[in-house]
Amino acid sequence: MKHSENGHHEISIEEKEMTDWKKKLIFSWAFVIPIAIIMLSDRILKIQIFEENAMKLIIMALGFPVIFILGWKTIKQGIRGLFTFYFNMDSLIALGTIIAYTTGFLSFFEIVQDYSGVASMIMAFFTTGKYVESIARGKASQEIRKLLKLGAKSARILKGNKETEIPIEEVKIGDIIVVRPGEKIPTDGIVVKGESAVDESMVTGESLPTEKKKNSSVIGATINQDGVLYVKATKIGKDTFLAHIIKLVEEAQGTKIPIQKLADKITGIFVPVILAISVLAFVNWFFISKDLSKSIGVAISVLVIACPCALGLATPTALMVGSGMGAKNGILIRKGEAIQTMKEVKIVVFDKTGTITKGMPEVTDIFSDMKEKEFLKIAASLESVSEHPISRAIVEKAKKEDIKLLGVRNFRVERGRGIRGNLQGKSVLIGNRRLMTDNRISYRKYEDKIIKLEAQGKTAIIVSVNKKIIGIMGVADAIKTDSLEAIKNLQKRNYRTIMITGDNEKTAKAIAAQAGINEVIADVLPEEKENKVKELQEEGMVAFVGDGINDAPALKQSNVGIAMGTGTDIAIESGDIVLTKGSLQGVVQAINLSKETFKKIKQNLFWAFFYNIIAIPLAVLGTLSPVVAEIAMATSSITVVTNANLLRRKRI
Amino acid sequence: MKKIKLTIEGMHCASCAANIERAVGKVKGVKDVTVSLMTNKAFVEMEEDTSREEIKKAVEKVGYKLAGIEE
Repeated sequence: MKHSENGHHEISIEEKEMTDWKKKLIFSWAFVIPIAIIMLSDRILKIQIFEENAMKLIIMALGFPVIFILGWKTIKQGIRGLFTFYFNMDSLIALGTIIAYTTGFLSFFEIVQDYSGVASMIMAFFTTGKYVESIARGKASQEIRKLLKLGAKSARILKGNKETEIPIEEVKIGDIIVVRPGEKIPTDGIVVKGESAVDESMVTGESLPTEKKKNSSVIGATINQDGVLYVKATKIGKDTFLAHIIKLVEEAQGTKIPIQKLADKITGIFVPVILAISVLAFVNWFFISKDLSKSIGVAISVLVIACPCALGLATPTALMVGSGMGAKNGILIRKGEAIQTMKEVKIVVFDKTGTITKGMPEVTDIFSDMKEKEFLKIAASLESVSEHPISRAIVEKAKKEDIKLLGVRNFRVERGRGIRGNLQGKSVLIGNRRLMTDNRISYRKYEDKIIKLEAQGKTAIIVSVNKKIIGIMGVADAIKTDSLEAIKNLQKRNYRTIMITGDNEKTAKAIAAQAGINEVIADVLPEEKENKVKELQEEGMVAFVGDGINDAPALKQSNVGIAMGTGTDIAIESGDIVLTKGSLQGVVQAINLSKETFKKIKQNLFWAFFYNIIAIPLAVLGTLSPVVAEIAMATSSITVVTNANLLRRKRI
Repeated sequence: MKKIKLTIEGMHCASCAANIERAVGKVKGVKDVTVSLMTNKAFVEMEEDTSREEIKKAVEKVGYKLAGIEE
């Protein structure tokens, strides 16, 4: 089980199949080339190498292993399909080759033309087609397979003062792992000693190395570049970031894209329908021409030309290539459906904190009647209980000033407003205007300062003790460096961009202006975001971009939910698309990728339908010989997979 | 409701995927099956107590090998 978790198993199946087809291919042609030489010299050059009956016997003898030994799996599977009514593509090939081979026996009684040589050629071309297809499919999944192989195999852990190398499966949470420059960090953890730059591109798509020092979190499978790091393992096995990504990508392959439904329905009934067409073609030809040989030839052609594979491969191969390209760039497509929906999206709604902004607020201003240190002591003590990013900023500030914090009692979060609690018997409230108004606390004295802070895009935090304001703080959360560029990019493509936030209107507008967004929905409580999205959906399809933790309901409500992950905190369960790198450029890329992938899917489906609609009638009309029919069939599925691989040429 | 992941060997064409979906879908307790041809995986949504043995039989009945079940 451990094995398949690391993904070694999947690889072996694919590679096994590829080498299997290759072996069959080589042996098949070793038999079929002599057959071809004998047949061609007889029919075209009119040179009979052997006497008529001997030639037939030799061809049949050479063909036997090709069809019934090398092609045994196909024959067995096909016949089984016919008897159990679980038809598959093998049923067509099996029936086609067996009928053709049987004519060899019949021809001894001069009833019919000998197609037995043709039978082995069909099998040889079928095998060749399958081999080429397996290579192309392997190529389509190369990024994903790289991802599966990414995990480290072993770790060097510190026991006392001794370093021991152990297999990755034996690493336990809390182990201290030593990672030298150039080595792979074996699992997720926290740096306890050392400093270094780490290349995380293989997992997050972030191309620049990230600086790590004590207390930085590191991701398993990333490469330590220049210093020795001592890492304490925090997540192992299937809980790691990499394991999550792999799971997500794998599951995405199992989701269906709506456009595929028709193709799926057709593949479901394809084989029996072809069988029926083949029988009808045979009966008709025989009735009209009375030529049994020709009628059998037509029936075989119909059987082997029809190709459910092209139809069935059209969508999954393109999705595979697309999601592989995405994974390489830190874009994880969770639901295939998002690819189709994306092209209808007109409105992109961004959450503010952590999406447009860095999500790392800092205290920039303090206004108080008290001494700054005293004021901070009260504020930070209460905030120290809360997990909110703003709280962390305030506590951080207090830490920097070496302020000792007080004990808190009766702590409570007022959602979307602030927090409250008791400090040394006094009731302390910290939060926004609404919190103060709700509790009938006047903040008029600081009104001017609050307005000024808000105009700068800062959040004003009001602190009151026993219903009296003791001061305010300005907390700023700077926008990410590339937010502006990404949003301009979307606007150029005629997307309506909107920012949504719990901040008040003035702060929100100031931040939005910095990011190039004109439309702002401010003062929204977390639980209201979902409704705002619903309202916007009346005007068009909406993509919501958020951190996936607080915004989960809004992400779900939107037509395409794009969850932004930062570092190892990946919001797996929400979002149709997950971005592992924090940049908003990822949104632009995700939109491009979805559109290009969907275009490929449509192209592929078109060709697959087109091929069958043209090829089957041609075979019915008797214009294609069985061998040509088989070549056409093999080519069609190779074309579809190759076309999917061409998606890689697109820049996203 | 529970979701399990199957690893399947021997799938090589689109109708294979369709057949497995049909066969496993008929197993009592199974609500939904999606087969991914590209990754040789099937995702089965089913009742908690659905017989794993029945699922295995269904896969084998249509001619494929069940190489692994991940709960």
